[in-house]
Amino acid sequence: MSAQLLLFQVLNGVGIGMIYFLLSVGLTLIFGLMRFVNFAHGAFYLAAAYIAYAVVLWTGSFWWALLFGPVLVAILALIIERLLLRHTYALPHEAQILITFAVALIIQEAIILIFSPLGHNVPVPSALSGVLFLGPYVYPSYRLAVIGVAALVAVVLWIAIERTKMGSILRAGSESAEMVGLLGINVDRVFMATFALGAALAGLAGVLVAPLRGVEPFMSAEALGIAFVVVVVGGLGTLSGALVGGILIGLVQSIMSTLWPEGAQLMIYAAMALVILIRPTGLMGRI
Amino acid sequence: MIDRRRVLTGVAAAPLVLAAPAFIRRANAQSVVDVAGVYSMSGTFANVGSGLNDGSKWAIEQYGSAAGNKLNYVLLDDRGDAGEAVRKVQEAMTQRGIKHVIGCTNSAIALAVQKEVYARKGIYINEAGADEITGKDCNKSSFRWPVACYSAVNATVRPLIEKLPKAKRWYTITGQYVFGDSLLSNCKDVFKEKGIEHVGNSYHSLSDREYSGYIATAMAQSPDVLAICNFGNQTVDVVRQAISYGMKRNTKILAVWSTGLDQFQALGPENCEDIYFGANFWHGVDTPGSRRVAEIVKQKTGDVPNYLQACGYAVSQILIEGINKANSTEVPAIIKALEGLSYEGPTGTETIRPEDHQVVKDYYLMLGKAKSKMKDKNDLCDVVAATKAFLPPEKTGCQMAASL
Repeated sequence: MSAQLLLFQVLNGVGIGMIYFLLSVGLTLIFGLMRFVNFAHGAFYLAAAYIAYAVVLWTGSFWWALLFGPVLVAILALIIERLLLRHTYALPHEAQILITFAVALIIQEAIILIFSPLGHNVPVPSALSGVLFLGPYVYPSYRLAVIGVAALVAVVLWIAIERTKMGSILRAGSESAEMVGLLGINVDRVFMATFALGAALAGLAGVLVAPLRGVEPFMSAEALGIAFVVVVVGGLGTLSGALVGGILIGLVQSIMSTLWPEGAQLMIYAAMALVILIRPTGLMGRI
Repeated sequence: MIDRRRVLTGVAAAPLVLAAPAFIRRANAQSVVDVAGVYSMSGTFANVGSGLNDGSKWAIEQYGSAAGNKLNYVLLDDRGDAGEAVRKVQEAMTQRGIKHVIGCTNSAIALAVQKEVYARKGIYINEAGADEITGKDCNKSSFRWPVACYSAVNATVRPLIEKLPKAKRWYTITGQYVFGDSLLSNCKDVFKEKGIEHVGNSYHSLSDREYSGYIATAMAQSPDVLAICNFGNQTVDVVRQAISYGMKRNTKILAVWSTGLDQFQALGPENCEDIYFGANFWHGVDTPGSRRVAEIVKQKTGDVPNYLQACGYAVSQILIEGINKANSTEVPAIIKALEGLSYEGPTGTETIRPEDHQVVKDYYLMLGKAKSKMKDKNDLCDVVAATKAFLPPEKTGCQMAASL
């Protein structure tokens, strides 16, 4: 592999990593702050991608989709949380997995019923449909924009969690919900807001990824798989972990697709196994 | 007034009257032929399985009966797993006595199922693409409607080489599974014969969705043509991502095997333009057989048929044509009737080769057209070439037993 190609694959890997960060940050946020295992995360991503498809079809504007996708998915998540999930917070993780898995299946089947099982295209917005030249290589402007959005999300989330009162409440709630409740804070509402935020982030990822990969009803499984790999590698429940894990997995995938193409996907899981062996709590996880 | 004799006659006749529905049911049951369709309704290729299943089911519904027997469609969902497919087929054949099996969602499943059906002396009509199906793994029970990988490559790569004489450097991106490998090895043979430089290949796995790394590797080789040797959503994803990385600017892109209209729609006209695709079926080719498919699909969906529906339809049709010609539902009689049969299929007059049970039909090389040139929403591509490119039977490696 030439140095130029290696450099490009590193840049490309960082780009893929930022997309993976977007995919997983909602999942890690929900687990970190609520200790809740959300197997419906991929389904929220899927639902938002289809909302993006429908909105673009009706309005011709991707920017409306960027607004409606995360918002509508957050509302859907709120409804699901109120009706179903809040009853499982005190139950073991197995119950949470089962119920969120069921939610994921219902969302997927509903999408098949509404949109058919075949895939659809979501065009890249015309303002971002060009490419940037990096020597002999080109990089899609849209991917660069997605990286920018992901970086912005990382910064905003970090400020919100580490530097605001709401963030302090969330962090305190994750340590001891009972104590926070005794201080007069409605923990139920905090958890509800956290869940909606996590789902909205999955929704944002779904909308942003739709022009890259199109939409099809089974896209949630891959997204959920990648999201779990990223949070395990980075450390369950940590924002920085999702970022570091995402970039590491993106780099491994991109570089290995030149060095050992047939094993690129395998190496993602090999990297995860290695991290678990060396640091069972993940790269940025608390020991 | 009711006399004693009439009461006794009535009592005597009562059991017969009561039993009549059972007799009627049994008489009906004897004339029903269960046809099992093996499709993946979940998993990576579920979108493919679902379309194929629709086509098969609708054909059964449209024909209704064959040789005086009512047809009943039984779906076996293999969930994208060859092992599951074999288990479901075993169960259907042993417990339900089903002998007529159709369908598959990928070649690995078809290879497993065709061995199983043959071992249990059934008949199996499938839509797999791997050469082995009618090659070294052929058997007396199995028939295949789509072309083999050899034909797909020779009906696309070869005409494209002739169309683009200056395009000497080809790169391939290949799905690492039976079907992808089969396409790749046939591509290599054509490259060698035509003096094409194969500048590299990137394998990807069945679960890949991110191809930018492979595309960057391909771009580093500056190929004239990128040939994509995979299947299903993966084809669409590679094409879409290759375009987004600007490959269309100085590289021609060929998806050797596409599922036609549904994939063109999934890509959208802006991505389809100037991309070459191989396809087994195109709704724009007007034939008596394609009109029959169009009729039922229009009735069900209000739209034109896509490849998946046509392909699913075709495997049902072959079985029904065989039963009708044999005037029997007995497997050996159907096999005999099908060998050498010509019929009006979805692509025109199609013929089943007796030597390897391959349906001889056209395979299309298509070129995506500009949005401004589209006559309607489905007019996404033009047929550039229609070719019947088949290995001579003696070279397929198929050694078929004379009987079941």
